[in-house]
Amino acid sequence: MRDSTLKYLLVAPAVLVVFATAIWPLIESLRLSFTVGRLNRPDSLNQYLGWENFTWAFTQEPAFWNSVWVTAIYTVLTVGLTTVLALGLALLLAPGGKFRSGVQTLLILPFAMSPALIGVSFRFMFNPEFGLFDAFFGVMIPPLADVSWLSDPVLAFAVCVMADVWGWIPFLTLVLIGGLASVPQDTIEAAQVDGASGWRVFRDVTLPQLAPVLAVVIILKSIFSLKTFDQIFMLTNGGPGTATQTLSHYIYFNGMKYGQIGYAASVAWLMVIPMIFLTYAYAKYVFRKE
Amino acid sequence: MSVAPMPDPEEFGRNPRQGLSGRQKKQIVRSVQVILILIATFIMLVPIAWIFLAAFKNHLDVYTLKIFFKPTLENFSLVFQEPYTLGEKLVNSTIVAFFTVLFAIPIATMAAYSFSRFRLVGETAMLVTILATQFVPAVVIILPFFVMFRDVGLLDTRLGLILVNLAIVMPFAIWMIKGFIDGIPLDTEEAAMVDGSSRAQVIRNIVLPMAAPGLLTAGIFCFIIAWNEFLFALILTNKDAVTLPIGLALFKAEEGDLWNLLSAAGIIIMVPMFVLALLIRKYFVQGMTMGAVR
Repeated sequence: MRDSTLKYLLVAPAVLVVFATAIWPLIESLRLSFTVGRLNRPDSLNQYLGWENFTWAFTQEPAFWNSVWVTAIYTVLTVGLTTVLALGLALLLAPGGKFRSGVQTLLILPFAMSPALIGVSFRFMFNPEFGLFDAFFGVMIPPLADVSWLSDPVLAFAVCVMADVWGWIPFLTLVLIGGLASVPQDTIEAAQVDGASGWRVFRDVTLPQLAPVLAVVIILKSIFSLKTFDQIFMLTNGGPGTATQTLSHYIYFNGMKYGQIGYAASVAWLMVIPMIFLTYAYAKYVFRKE
Repeated sequence: MSVAPMPDPEEFGRNPRQGLSGRQKKQIVRSVQVILILIATFIMLVPIAWIFLAAFKNHLDVYTLKIFFKPTLENFSLVFQEPYTLGEKLVNSTIVAFFTVLFAIPIATMAAYSFSRFRLVGETAMLVTILATQFVPAVVIILPFFVMFRDVGLLDTRLGLILVNLAIVMPFAIWMIKGFIDGIPLDTEEAAMVDGSSRAQVIRNIVLPMAAPGLLTAGIFCFIIAWNEFLFALILTNKDAVTLPIGLALFKAEEGDLWNLLSAAGIIIMVPMFVLALLIRKYFVQGMTMGAVR
């Protein structure tokens, strides 16, 4: 067989799979978002009502706006905290050596953990009667001693953020260690010889060199933060009330629990829009390297 | 009696204003660093260690903060009995993750080889699309699949789960394997072609053996992702095809969560993945970032 034919035959199955498992559902979701779309009435999946689902979300659903805000604040906090802490840890671990590479190996563990299990374990850690973290914070910050973390809207949100940051720091740290390794050592040494302090070296030499890697890390983490579902579902299930209900969770509840799949699809598509921008930015970084 | 610190003559010339000698200062900085690393490691490991402890506690000790207790293996046998029957979920998870990988890796390898070695019309567009599909929220993908699977009877089946899992796994697999094949030098292949080997022979005899470690790595990576997958299984399964992460929800009783059993189940879920992840730790980062960061 000629290579000119073969090369297309080789990619065909993959393109087909990606089309069937990702592109088709995207298009079908878009179609559903313009229908009445009730799960218990199959004919309603073909009953079109224009933009009504979208206007309903914007004008009639405080819960939708609530989940938008929860997701936005959650994303900003988790991306910011994870990036800063991971950068700190990466700087500490970058020099290498037996001790530090041993710690780097351990960092793989939280990342191999199922996010659902992370949610479960943080619910355990913050149990008001026998949770380890609950007890720890009770001793460290006495006003929090008798607080039931997961029943308080603000604290439950804080626990969700903590669980997320805990689960993602290891991965971002490993990425940033890789990035730090590519910062030329002689530039740093030259700056040190010139008498620059550690902070100045970091700000003026390391940070600018690390900027592209940091950008990738921030984009990637933002995408995953926006999509968050598993942990929230297992940790608070969106509660108390709707204090920790992210967009994914809101969509799940409307689509699967209330059976309003058309409405859920329209909210889901609203969520796709910021993703498109982030993915575009990410793709630019990937292909800059090619 | 107070003695002014005598600066090391060597260091003196460099840092005249410093109170502590350079060496002392370095030592302090180094100790602070080690302490910070230890604290970070401790925070990373505590929630995992706590699950490990709880899994060996009996149903009374688990509701205490005890670190010393009489360990028991009872939880590990209880989770496999009625009504929890975690064994079924373990089988489901294994089958689903295994076949997801078995479908994904050959298909991804073919595509990755082609993307790596040939110029295709619309190549960049295809690669970007494949990259982008990885970022589509799972809730968007699952809504139409739920409707379709309900119509064709694939709800609560392993096959259904395997099919949707391909949506998450394929982009990773293609990009990761492409990275590995890009790293294989072209000359061996070209030499064999000059000697009269066909393209199929080259792929079978040269590329596949050389890419084998990469394929294994990608396979393990995808296995972990499929094993930990939650949302698809939550929506598509309810009885026959329930996987381990969804099985965690079983341990809710009227009186609250059964933490000793939850922890035992947690260990069964995470320990195999720890082992697999450690096997491929060098490539873990590369796999997640699809080569955007090396």
